[in-house]
Amino acid sequence: MPDVKYYDLRHVTGQVTHIDIDNGIVESAGTSFFNKAVLRVLDRTGWGIIQIDNFTPCTGRKFEDLIQSARKLAGITEEIVELGEVPHGILPVPPLKEDPRAVSIEEKSALLAEIEEAARHPLVTNRRANYVERIEQVRFTDSSANEYSYEMCRSGFNVLAVASQNGNVQMGFEREHSIHGFDLRHRQDAGKSAAEIAVSLLDAGAVKGGKMRAVLDPELAGVFAHEAVGHASEGDLISEGNSVLKGRTGEKIASEILTIVDDPALSEFGFDPVDAEGTKVLRTEIISRGVVNAFLHTRESLAAVGNGIAGHARAMPGEPPLVRMSNTFIENGDAKKAEIFEECKNGIFLAGSRGGQVDPGRGIFQFNAEYGYLVEKGECTKMIRDVSLSGEILSTLHRITLCGNDRKMSPGYCGKGGQSVPVSDGAPHVLLLDAVVGGSGLD
Amino acid sequence: MSSFSTRWWVAVDWIEEVIREGRRSVDELEVFYVEGTSVSADLKRKNVNLATTSRECGLGIRTIHNGRIGSSSTNDPGTWRDCLAAAIASGKLATAQTWSGLPDPVSLPASPLSFDPALECDPGLARDLLGQMLEGAAEHPAEITAGSASLSISSETLANSHGIRYRDHYTGVSLSLEAIERQSTGYEFDHASSLKDVDPRNVGEKAAFFACKSADGKDIPTGDYPVVLSPLAYAELLGNVFVPALNGRSVHSGRSRLAQSLGETIADPRITMYDDPLLPRASGSTWWDAEGTPTRRIDFVRDGVLRTFAYDLKTAYRYDKKTTGSAVRGGFGGLPAIGHHNFIVDGERENILDERVIYIHNVVGAHTANPMSGDFSVEISNAFWMEDGGFEEPVRSAMMSGNVFDLHKDIAGMSRETRAVGSLILPSIRLNEQRIIGK
Repeated sequence: MPDVKYYDLRHVTGQVTHIDIDNGIVESAGTSFFNKAVLRVLDRTGWGIIQIDNFTPCTGRKFEDLIQSARKLAGITEEIVELGEVPHGILPVPPLKEDPRAVSIEEKSALLAEIEEAARHPLVTNRRANYVERIEQVRFTDSSANEYSYEMCRSGFNVLAVASQNGNVQMGFEREHSIHGFDLRHRQDAGKSAAEIAVSLLDAGAVKGGKMRAVLDPELAGVFAHEAVGHASEGDLISEGNSVLKGRTGEKIASEILTIVDDPALSEFGFDPVDAEGTKVLRTEIISRGVVNAFLHTRESLAAVGNGIAGHARAMPGEPPLVRMSNTFIENGDAKKAEIFEECKNGIFLAGSRGGQVDPGRGIFQFNAEYGYLVEKGECTKMIRDVSLSGEILSTLHRITLCGNDRKMSPGYCGKGGQSVPVSDGAPHVLLLDAVVGGSGLD
Repeated sequence: MSSFSTRWWVAVDWIEEVIREGRRSVDELEVFYVEGTSVSADLKRKNVNLATTSRECGLGIRTIHNGRIGSSSTNDPGTWRDCLAAAIASGKLATAQTWSGLPDPVSLPASPLSFDPALECDPGLARDLLGQMLEGAAEHPAEITAGSASLSISSETLANSHGIRYRDHYTGVSLSLEAIERQSTGYEFDHASSLKDVDPRNVGEKAAFFACKSADGKDIPTGDYPVVLSPLAYAELLGNVFVPALNGRSVHSGRSRLAQSLGETIADPRITMYDDPLLPRASGSTWWDAEGTPTRRIDFVRDGVLRTFAYDLKTAYRYDKKTTGSAVRGGFGGLPAIGHHNFIVDGERENILDERVIYIHNVVGAHTANPMSGDFSVEISNAFWMEDGGFEEPVRSAMMSGNVFDLHKDIAGMSRETRAVGSLILPSIRLNEQRIIGK
């Protein structure tokens, strides 16, 4: 056994199959392969990390040499890194309803073409559909003899429709990605919906920026939870002093109806059977009934910060783990959707997401809706486009005053430190008072 | 350079075999092989927390048979036979298109454009760079939260069945530092192909300066203001919206707002936008593009008028255009697609800070802009009222809304200074009436 305080090795092999159909043309389709490993060693001070492409598992002298190279590298580090005690264990990976590997790529391509074709419309100038299927075999070992191996398959599609009229160009977008297996059959509705959104947006107006009441749909409210709360609760940012949530455990920062959770054990797109450093994954209530309850941690940030739960280490193949979200959501409340619109009275309804970003140290976030409607007397009226919201974490959360009972999760990817990992976000419909809306509309 | 030539022959040996084997099944094929090493050191607050080395390699194979293009990649070159088989199988699925052949070899200069022979992947050097950033940061009382220094060396080999055998070498150094002063953050970075072109002290000093100087900002009312966007803020908007609209594939398939604008004035007449792949020491410089087409300057916008779009071979053959040598690869083993090498915005330069303006150093959320219409609304960060070039009162928080395409017609001036932000090389720009939404 190598003579170091700690090591772990995460080796991931796999393949990615993709199909890209653009205006009826199969632009590309096929399979690529990868093999990547990352070895982390901790001895007297900080981490020595070796990233290896095309890794061949090894033992004995050869493995010992790798450990010693990483240890030598760690010689330039100064910080003394401690690791928290954590539970270990692995969850079963949910079974695939239909294994994509059992479907020929010709059939996949034909099914994707049906979805792309469904986006056809006289005003749609471009239809594009992509299929992605990623299969990873993960093997993890560490110096405490923890060993895990599992296989994950994630697959799904995106469909984009671009509509043009008199120099006005708008887009509609639908996506469906899942850990539950092949999902291209009978999905023409997605293509149709993308086209309808794109075409409707040609007549949508621009909103005039300012403060107003906003109803957020489950997808957008999920992105809000991810950007406004999720990132700021990541233990590495807390320990660096780069989050406005630092030192606020037990503090009430939101109204009592708001509970925000990150749960890597949930069978959604961000599911991990075990985290990237072998820790058992657990549901973590970041905000409990308005109160800061628990931060998301790796073993390192747990030891440095406390006040939270480890099992949130995630990594791309061959990359060192970082504290990351997985499945992040606002818990259901008890309001009905109709009540939320009634309470909004006059404002805007925002739906879908083009993503968001946060500066956790400054406590400011921004996110963007795919489309929306003006709300007048509790009813959706004129369609609006290109609406962004920005806000301050510590004041905005108090302004969520109603949560619906219709939570829905949406798949996506989240970027941090140059790594992109699969996540899902979700929420019920929520009402946000005093939303700061950015739009280019005039009085 | 003796070590490189030895490895070249080792590399060439199996690559020749891939081409020989592939030629038995397909009309043409192309093999791309990249390998590299890198080292990086990361700060957590003021201490080095981790050191990383990496060895990366990637093999990409593209086959063309009866106008059908197939592709595959792997980072295990030992399994090239599987990769070749996957590329050939992939070609059978693709829709056939007009194809007039991969490029033939030409004689190109052997000296690398983006390579510093003095750069070594030495962990001690990475640590020293962090130390210099920290020294710079010490000029202001901000806390350091995180930082990183990394060094990389890589080589790329391109071979095809027409006899192209190109190889080039690249180096890179990149630095970043994050600082905070109460609830005000500052971030700065630098990157170059050569060690002598980065200034670690300045990175540290600027990160800490912006954190301190932005503290105690004041709100501003909603209105139209004269603003200056720093190269960083401008790059966010340009890179997410404008540059992708110049991609020939997007243009011909109906995904670009600029599709019908060739020959039209799309920017202020003082503005020129071009890709210069041959700029010495710039990070995207290269003698040949990802398909082996020799690179040259491409003038997209001259005196405000849109002159051309960017093409690779596939798109050019399909739409009866000529390739502009704009093929690039995304990442290790990535397949060729249309991109740019060093995208430059240039034109008449002047002092754009002589009147009172809001200077916007960065923006949050530019990737959420509408890439089709160009409409955006983003949060601004490290924004200040600026007078005679001096940073005055910081703006606490506000949004900025507009349209990335339209604002180019309203550019009222470009600064004398330029800065490389990734592969974009840009001045600061002045806009006289920019909508700002206060809080």
